Amino acid sequence: MNPLLQLKNVRKDIGKKTIIHDLSLEVFPGEVFGFLGPNGAGKTTTIRMIVGLMGITSGEVLINGISIQKDFEKAIQHVGAIVENPEMYKFLTGYQNLLHYARMTKGVTKERINEVVKLVGLEKRIHDKVKTYSLGMRQRLGLAQALLHRPSLLILDEPTNGLDPAGIREIRDYLRKLAKEEGLGIIVSSHLLSEMEMMCDRFAIIQHGRLVGIESVQELSKQAQKVLLTVEPVEQALTVIKNIYPHMNITPAKQGIEVSIDYKEIPSLNAALVSENIKVYGIQVLTKSLEERFLEMTGGNEIA
Amino acid sequence: MPSILSLIQNENMKIYRRIGTWFMIGLLALSTLAGALIIKATYKEPKNWKAEVASEIKEMEAQLSEEKVPKMYKNHLEQQLKINEYRLEHNIKPVASNTFWGYLVDSADIIALITLFTIIVAAGSVASEFSWGTIKLLLIRPASRTKILLSKYIAALLFALCMLLLLFVFSAVIAAVVFGIENIREPYLAYQNGTVVEKNMLLYVMQVYALNCVDLVMMTTFAFMISAVFRNHSLAIGLATFALFVGPQITALLAMKFDWAKYLLFANTNLAQYIDGTPLVEGMTMPFSMMMLLVYFVIFNALTWFIFRKRDIAA
Repeated sequence: MNPLLQLKNVRKDIGKKTIIHDLSLEVFPGEVFGFLGPNGAGKTTTIRMIVGLMGITSGEVLINGISIQKDFEKAIQHVGAIVENPEMYKFLTGYQNLLHYARMTKGVTKERINEVVKLVGLEKRIHDKVKTYSLGMRQRLGLAQALLHRPSLLILDEPTNGLDPAGIREIRDYLRKLAKEEGLGIIVSSHLLSEMEMMCDRFAIIQHGRLVGIESVQELSKQAQKVLLTVEPVEQALTVIKNIYPHMNITPAKQGIEVSIDYKEIPSLNAALVSENIKVYGIQVLTKSLEERFLEMTGGNEIA
Repeated sequence: MPSILSLIQNENMKIYRRIGTWFMIGLLALSTLAGALIIKATYKEPKNWKAEVASEIKEMEAQLSEEKVPKMYKNHLEQQLKINEYRLEHNIKPVASNTFWGYLVDSADIIALITLFTIIVAAGSVASEFSWGTIKLLLIRPASRTKILLSKYIAALLFALCMLLLLFVFSAVIAAVVFGIENIREPYLAYQNGTVVEKNMLLYVMQVYALNCVDLVMMTTFAFMISAVFRNHSLAIGLATFALFVGPQITALLAMKFDWAKYLLFANTNLAQYIDGTPLVEGMTMPFSMMMLLVYFVIFNALTWFIFRKRDIAA
């Protein structure tokens, strides 16, 4: 599959300072790709370079194989984006705002505008002035303008900011649907790590303008598992486990015992405990969360 | 890729969907009305215009007989003298402010107000996009920055054109109502190739309007440049209006002492100086001023374009 977006050794200098160091990554059709990083890591700068708002000092950004620096108009026509907050013309209505952006791309009909309005659930308020909108409604309008021209690459900076839990879920499901069913490539950045985990297929962790790593959510859940056992009496259980698995990494926790164990071994461990008359109240599989992985990779920097 | 026309349509929507724009149009109508009413209330008709013109002729003759009259001024006096003599011969009254045509000619002064409004619109069209944050969504469309900038510039000039038409229509209607149209057939007297000729008054009014627009176009372009360079609405409006109102005075002061003042923008914006007046600095001609204006125009636009095209959109 050809990548929708390619960043090749992208570098940005401002004055003598290097803001982004030789960033390379690829985003493919049908995937939701997350940008993660602490404040000031360079997420937004990277997004601005991808959409041509900022110049690139060296390296290359290719969208559908077309260079954004060399052929901006051609490269950008398949991109829909929200950069930072969805700022709209407040003195215009939501509909007039969409009309404004529709006129800037060929082939967006009135029907398409109505379709998108319905999609983001703004039918009732679309003819009101934007200054009367809540942040959540502006976010929806922002999404609508990004989708108007049926882009193949969607870039959303904090798309769920300002939405209520139902709205977040709705947008998340919709984005996943766009990626799966229509094969869009979607880039999202968010500081809500748990949300990213639910939304993204892969994500890049960026810190100090450098790519720390690209992880896939699937791989993350396959990593060495920890199991939390809620047992009684604890002391006796510890001896039993040590007898069977002498090399196992065991940590007594508040709620019980935490052990690192292969998924397939869990039933036999349970059987052993039961046969020794230990009461087993619960076995809980602990997957490594994105947050833990993130903190591990960025060295525990604060997440904004 | 969008056509420049749809981009201009967008800019027009952003200009005319704002209350401020309609406030400006209202203010323009009000100034036109107020001007007419003030003239109506204060203008005193000369009892005998023929006697007055005759005394003017005498005065001019006296001035011409003096020895040290600069050549440019001498020419100007001679022309006026001939025109006045023609008036007496053919019984053509000088155009007074309280007539239809007189008021239309005077209404050209209100173009300064239009210049101010156009500066506000032009400065806002770039700077506001930055302060609203909408510039980001505007520039990630398949339209080059050059096209977007051009559409904004054209929209601002269209706004000025629209205001000029409105001013003309307002003035004509108000003048017709307040002063009447009995003198509508009055000709305009011009001096051409050594003789006095009668010309169409409408053409003369249009000429006066056009000459007054030089300031308008130059200051709008200047405000547009400041707005694109500094992304600051107030700064652009402030600098452009300050230049508009103080620039000519400072230039005139400098012109009294230094010859190089003729290269300054404001030494050249008043093209009427070549038609019925004397040039600011001796030796200045109409082609010279037009050349200078063109140079400034190109510099302003090139700077705007160059900076806007290269700029990183941050914040």
